[in-house]
Amino acid sequence: MTQAVVPSSTLVGVEAIAVEVQVDVSAGLPAFTIVGLGDTAVLEARDRVRAAMRSSGFDFPNARVTVNLAPSPVRKHGTGFDLPIAVGVLAATGQVPRSVLGAVSVGELALDGSVRSVPGMLAHAIVAPLRGLPLLTSGDAVRAAQTVRECEIRGLGSLGNLRAGLPGVAATSSTAPPPALTEPDFSEVRGQSSAKRALEIAAAGGLGLLLVGPPGSAKTMLARRLPSILPPLDDAEMLSTAVVHSVAGLDLDGVLAGVRPFRAPHHTATTAGLVGGGTPPRPGEASLAHNGVLFLDELPEFSPAALQALRQPLEDGYLTLVRAEGRVRYPASFSLVAAMNPCPCGYLGDSERTCTCPPTLVERYVGRVGGPLMDRIDMTLRVGRTDTSRLLTGSTEEGSARVRERVVAARERTRTRGLPRDLSGAALLRACGLDTETRRTVEEAARLHRLSGRGVTRLLRVALAIADLAGEERLTRPHILEASGYRGHS
Amino acid sequence: MIPSGFELHLGDAGYPVHLTTGVRPPVRLLGMGDPSALVPGLAIIGSRRATPYGLTCARIFARCAAESGVTVISGAAIGCDLAAQTEALDAGGHSVAVLGCGADVDYPQRSASTLARLRAGGGAVVSELDWGATPLPRQFPSRNRIIAGLSAVVLVVEAALPSGTFSTADSALDAGRDVLAVPGSILYAGSAGTNRLIRQGATPITCVDDLREALVCAGLLAEGAVPAAGGNALGTSSGDPLLEALRAHPMTPDQVGEAVGLDAAVTMATLARLEAAGLVARHADGRYGPCLPG
Repeated sequence: MTQAVVPSSTLVGVEAIAVEVQVDVSAGLPAFTIVGLGDTAVLEARDRVRAAMRSSGFDFPNARVTVNLAPSPVRKHGTGFDLPIAVGVLAATGQVPRSVLGAVSVGELALDGSVRSVPGMLAHAIVAPLRGLPLLTSGDAVRAAQTVRECEIRGLGSLGNLRAGLPGVAATSSTAPPPALTEPDFSEVRGQSSAKRALEIAAAGGLGLLLVGPPGSAKTMLARRLPSILPPLDDAEMLSTAVVHSVAGLDLDGVLAGVRPFRAPHHTATTAGLVGGGTPPRPGEASLAHNGVLFLDELPEFSPAALQALRQPLEDGYLTLVRAEGRVRYPASFSLVAAMNPCPCGYLGDSERTCTCPPTLVERYVGRVGGPLMDRIDMTLRVGRTDTSRLLTGSTEEGSARVRERVVAARERTRTRGLPRDLSGAALLRACGLDTETRRTVEEAARLHRLSGRGVTRLLRVALAIADLAGEERLTRPHILEASGYRGHS
Repeated sequence: MIPSGFELHLGDAGYPVHLTTGVRPPVRLLGMGDPSALVPGLAIIGSRRATPYGLTCARIFARCAAESGVTVISGAAIGCDLAAQTEALDAGGHSVAVLGCGADVDYPQRSASTLARLRAGGGAVVSELDWGATPLPRQFPSRNRIIAGLSAVVLVVEAALPSGTFSTADSALDAGRDVLAVPGSILYAGSAGTNRLIRQGATPITCVDDLREALVCAGLLAEGAVPAAGGNALGTSSGDPLLEALRAHPMTPDQVGEAVGLDAAVTMATLARLEAAGLVARHADGRYGPCLPG
């Protein structure tokens, strides 16, 4: 028999879909063709496979070799088909036992026959058990892939090891505690009590925050510390975050240690860089911040198109890219922290330097962010510089661990409150069960800050987070008042 | 196209007499609206970068002038000027805007609706420049001398150092007009200009009756318009330590929270309550400062 079918998979977005690598070896003029909509990297597999087989002591058949990647209409990218193609040719020519066809193979081959991992190993590991098959891949991908407990992983160091059939199940990597990561801590920020309070509320409610302040007012420092007061990633969140990072080919150590991602794209980022795109489509910074924090420093400097593209993930928690080759959906549920200077020169309201911007220019600068995005930011806050004398004294500030305890407790109360996340406007107002006085406070705040319907919803969400932090069942006037203090600071 | 306006030449019968006693009276004055509004009045001027305090003072004194039947003259600039002129119209009074561009040009854009009300008969919009002239920085100081010339009294509500209001005040002094100023915090750079004017001899205005007295002195109001008791102070103690702290000196939430010993959550809630009641307002720089008296 001169045919073999090797199960494999390819990435579409952050999901792997099943692909069959069909190999046919028949008599005729020696040739090696790959069909089935592969990109250049897939077609280059021919040279890698031929060289890797020879270096591993196998013979490349002196015959007509045809490889089909089915289903044919799906465009296939990357180097992950090297291993399944080699496995198929070897099995078809009887150089390895046919038992090797009983595993989903994904991996890139080096010319010396060693197997290398490819981006998205986690996505492949999720799909393999659904087909009831183990995953055959490179030895160095084992540790990451083992995050998916259901998946049986066979690590392969070199192509030559296949002579004896499938390698054994990889031992569960010694549960050596992941390297202790020293995360920045709240106690390192002196003063800034209202900004810290705002971050605590944002963390408790999973809300978006805009910090406005002159250079040197600790905006970045504060934002960088938001992950440290968010509850650690739970297993489901960890997996969904790790999959995105895996698909993007990033290091997984931080995520697998339970640390929420913190992404701070530069303001020159393109729309594709921010929300994903390109050929093949790659997840953008918004998706890499999934279950973590997306920090946009110098918000007005970002291109308006890129910022507008963030509106969908802010509302829905995911991103849909529609491209010629199909739709791709990336998870993108993140806490948005943005920062900006109050004016182009940066020093409006600074205690030591005078702002040189004419008022009209300030307005235009602030207006660049665009109302619709501003409306989707739950809280805005002005921050100022802490006095130098304060920075140098050894006063003790509360550490992240204490704040995190309160945040975790508040989130627990949010859960018992059980309000659906997508409840908005009048429905949310009803669900909050406000008394007359509190309702009047909401109306006053809406008038004062000219809130849209969505703005009122955001005000209530902030107030709910404040109530949950305080451990109070009912939403009352002080909660609404404090929440309205975090509106309209730009 | 020449808009339907009026044109007054120095020496003509309709030319405002008091303007000829000013500094370098303009040879020609183009205007739109009601030329009879060009009577001696009160100029209210101040910073474009106004704080809520400055805006509030501009409104309080503009209303006082309008209700006393005194025309409010200003430059329609963003900030104190616009606040004073809009309030004068809202109070049913008259107002005159002197522009640094053509009298038919809406500049600044934000003043467009107020300028339209003035042209429609709430007063007049005048300029010595040609119809349609674009605003250029050098035209504003010479515009200021016309504001001083048209007025009998000049009130500066809020000014920093240096400030364009000084050229108006100088022209007013050269023309023998009274200069009044509203004092501000000595700790705030944005009030340094008005405080300097007071030190140089401008009359400090601390309440509505102070202004009425000054209007009487300038002959804009009949004697007896000021109640004998006088001195109706604007500031009354509220008993709220946070509000009083902010009235003394505008501060950020962090600063005022520390000053009165409240935590961040309570501070923010209190500020929001005072803001909703209109007692404090946010400055452009993020600090909270006093707004309405009461």
